[in-house]
Amino acid sequence: MSDIELSDIVRNLLGGAAWTLGLSLTAFVLGGLAGLAVLFARIARNPLPRRLAQAYIEVFQGTPLLMQLFIIFFGSSLIGLEIPPWLAAALGLTLFTSAYLGEIWRGCVEAIPKGQWEASASLAMSHVEQMRHVILPQALRIAIAPTVGFSVQVVKGTAVTSIIGFVELTKTGSMLANATFQPFLVFGLVALGYFALCYPLSAYSRMLERKIHGSRAH
Amino acid sequence: MAYAFDFSAVLEYREALLAGTGRTLMLTGIGAVAGLVLGTAGAVSRAWRLAPFDRIFAVYVELIRNTPFLVQLFFIFFGLPSLGVQMDEWQAAILAVVINLGAYSTEIIRAGIEATPRGQIEAAQSLAMTRRQIFFHVVLPPALAKVWPAICSQVVIVMLGTSVCSQIAAEELTFAANFIQSRNFRAFETYFVVTAMYFLLAVGVRQVLALTGQRLLGRRSK
Amino acid sequence: MHKRHFLKTLFAAVLLAGGVGAAQADALSSAEKSGVLRIAVPQDFPPFGTVGPDLKPRGYDIDVANLIGREMKLKVELIPVTSTNRIPYLTTGKADLVISSLGKNPDREKVIDFSSAYAPFFNGVFGPGDAAVKTAADTAGKVVGVTRGSVEDLEFSKLAPPTANIKRFEDNNATISAYLSGQVQLVATGNVVAAAVNERSKLRRLETKFLIKNSPCYVGVNKGEAALLGKVNAVIAKLKASGELNQVSQHWLQAPLPADL
Repeated sequence: MSDIELSDIVRNLLGGAAWTLGLSLTAFVLGGLAGLAVLFARIARNPLPRRLAQAYIEVFQGTPLLMQLFIIFFGSSLIGLEIPPWLAAALGLTLFTSAYLGEIWRGCVEAIPKGQWEASASLAMSHVEQMRHVILPQALRIAIAPTVGFSVQVVKGTAVTSIIGFVELTKTGSMLANATFQPFLVFGLVALGYFALCYPLSAYSRMLERKIHGSRAH
Repeated sequence: MAYAFDFSAVLEYREALLAGTGRTLMLTGIGAVAGLVLGTAGAVSRAWRLAPFDRIFAVYVELIRNTPFLVQLFFIFFGLPSLGVQMDEWQAAILAVVINLGAYSTEIIRAGIEATPRGQIEAAQSLAMTRRQIFFHVVLPPALAKVWPAICSQVVIVMLGTSVCSQIAAEELTFAANFIQSRNFRAFETYFVVTAMYFLLAVGVRQVLALTGQRLLGRRSK
Repeated sequence: MHKRHFLKTLFAAVLLAGGVGAAQADALSSAEKSGVLRIAVPQDFPPFGTVGPDLKPRGYDIDVANLIGREMKLKVELIPVTSTNRIPYLTTGKADLVISSLGKNPDREKVIDFSSAYAPFFNGVFGPGDAAVKTAADTAGKVVGVTRGSVEDLEFSKLAPPTANIKRFEDNNATISAYLSGQVQLVATGNVVAAAVNERSKLRRLETKFLIKNSPCYVGVNKGEAALLGKVNAVIAKLKASGELNQVSQHWLQAPLPADL
């Protein structure tokens, strides 16, 4: 009695992929903004924000994304906040992304040679001026490749949100696998969908990396 | 109706939690050792262009790194049987963890190998060392030492990722969480406790790996 | 032990900040105020709930949800859930009702309330025709798949001999896929679920090995929601009397509603 044709499967999976893409973009943009805040706290001169940022990073990098999502989703309604699955998914992924990006970017800032700090300090620049005119522009250049590389992890991280009921590519796939009983076909197509989303990003990140290393060698 | 928190309802199931923790660690341990061996093989094939393995590993790395772990797991467990390859949930979970870590560590270790100065290899060649000797004595130890922090992070990421193995009924820590909340209906408390346990595991695994690195590779790794 | 204490304190602080202590309006009046009734339904449990070509839920439970909404003159918002998360959805207030082929047992009655029964359900152990299994004792040494947290899981876990290898999957989808791909030898599920699988897949047939329990389905309601529960019971009684529930049963289960339900 299965009235679901291959064209229905593909059409629904494309719809799911659109949600995966939308969620990834949201998480990446919001996570990037929050990640900047984490970065600044992490390299602040005052030890308090530094410690807080470090604790934040350790908690989000030290626990499974799946558990973070469960806690946000079921925990928020216990404290009287009603949030739908898509919001819980976006929030969870944003926090996850910001913890990783903050740490990646800190590495880039610290890769800037000490001499640059000393030279700009000798020009009587304030900390903010040093960051704005000297350190960040250089750090940005080396940060692009690992940041694009990490975006692949964000896209793949969205797969886990299927478990709290957000209907994206993986969830669409498991619903269809159940309605059609053709898991090999459906999950094969799902894997293909992720590959199509992620491969261009990985390839681009690698290209950027080669470019930077290439120019550095000269 | 105010929700009354009750953590004792979770602690009644501490045996299930401990068993799940043990399985999660086992999965991580086997995955880390076998994955690093696979990754080293991949790295040397890629770095030294050993045909045809360099091509095979290149395709393998792209396939694994660009698809989610959950989908790989479903594919192995539900998909492969239709090709006649039958595995139980543990074999499937271990295989998925090994090929996942293998792909990531191929790229990590390759970066370490490629950073080996040419002169060191030439010096070793002039001492009439075989290729195998050069690799295991001259190239690999400093390469691993250089990338050890990245390897540690990747192993922790893989450990946290094993939480989705509960989807195919592998009874690891997240399975224990879902099992307990299906019995005591204390979803939030259960997930909270288990999240804290994962956190402690992550801290512990990181420490153990850092110490292992120090022991095996000298003080260069942090 | 220190750690636990710390966690409790942390929670108390979080709770105070969120102001949970404040009394909340009862579910019926808030649903009537918003005009929307949120109902958790299955989407992986044919014939009670599955998806059509448009990915919209359909099935016995969805029909009942819509009938209840119609009778209560409220717009129905369907929330797809799995066996594992359907009770958290209710207890954390993400749904007003659970109509998700939910069976009743004493453990669950401590946590939520149940309406009168709205659908028949016999759970049992099913498997291929050549498997020599007639009683629970015969499952010794066999691999049996079941959906974690379902009534079958709770009941079969009590009956199964210690050497039976029970694999508990996250949702029904995974359980059925595991059987069809040969990952488990037998499954514990509902008779009508087995029938629906047989109808749609030629891969591996499910034949009845033995039945465990007559465990009809009830609508789940949060504790302390007497007004909502009363209303739901009145609607179910009305649907039984008018024969509409019987039509739902004929359509999805190909059998009339049992007289003793």
